Amino acid sequence: MSKHPECQAHLDALRCEHREVAGTLLSTMDGFEVAASVGAQISPKKMAAMTSSLLALAEAVSRESSVGQCRDLVIESSAGIVLMMDVPSTAHRSVLTVLCTDVGVLGRIRWAARNAREAIAQALDAQPVS
Amino acid sequence: MSVQEYKLIFTGTMGAGKTTAITAISEIAPVSTDVQRSEAGDDTKVTTTAALDYGEVTLPRGDMLRLYGTPGQARFDFMWKILSDGALGVVLLVDNRRPDPLADLREYLTAFRDVVAGSRAVVGVGRCDTHPVPELDAYYDVAAEMGLSAPIVSVDVRRREDVLLLLDILFNQIEAAEA
Repeated sequence: MSKHPECQAHLDALRCEHREVAGTLLSTMDGFEVAASVGAQISPKKMAAMTSSLLALAEAVSRESSVGQCRDLVIESSAGIVLMMDVPSTAHRSVLTVLCTDVGVLGRIRWAARNAREAIAQALDAQPVS
Repeated sequence: MSVQEYKLIFTGTMGAGKTTAITAISEIAPVSTDVQRSEAGDDTKVTTTAALDYGEVTLPRGDMLRLYGTPGQARFDFMWKILSDGALGVVLLVDNRRPDPLADLREYLTAFRDVVAGSRAVVGVGRCDTHPVPELDAYYDVAAEMGLSAPIVSVDVRRREDVLLLLDILFNQIEAAEA
């Protein structure tokens, strides 16, 4: 059972509408899963903790380099992309992770993920995580 | 002899004082990856380390210590492995206020068993002044039950000299083991 049904719906939609999206995850900044739409081979709990560490480290690098606040983190791998985005909810600042199996469509997926991020931020502000 | 660099790890449960210990002795502004806690905790700690802390100390001979603090919670245990790679030694901090600090000790001795078995670890127990039980003897017993031994001392990691004492003990251990 998802901790936030409306966010769950946004994650499911992002995964269904783009065949290159193999999984989506929403997690807290300190590494807890809020909602996930992933295959059985991926542990959302572990991914939630790992994205928290990565985002926190990316933020430290942003600070050190004086390039402002870290928003997105992209991992480009040989067979896909992992996109991690800061979700700017004032009530529950969190991370949206998108697993994409096609390196060539990063622009399109990023655009879709940005829209999802806005919708998720609004949903989190309207309805707290239970 | 050329100047050497050594990597040391500070680990232990959330709130044990890893970030505080590194901040107390680092010569550079420490790198921190603190994030807001979302879980409702039974204490007043509002942030927690999600990836690592980093600081640096120069030893009298000119050698440099790179200090890495791990996250405290077990869900970040993958960071423990990443950070331990190539580490010379480990400072394990335990908080005597916690519900079962001896279980905490067991968990971290298990996770860092190889380093401890190689006599490259020291255990610092915090807040013994306000929480005197369990006593240090109980900690030694837990380590002995696990077939391990390490120096175990009471510390206040807010005090720079206490943290430096931990490092002194650790280096004496390592030198004795290598002699």
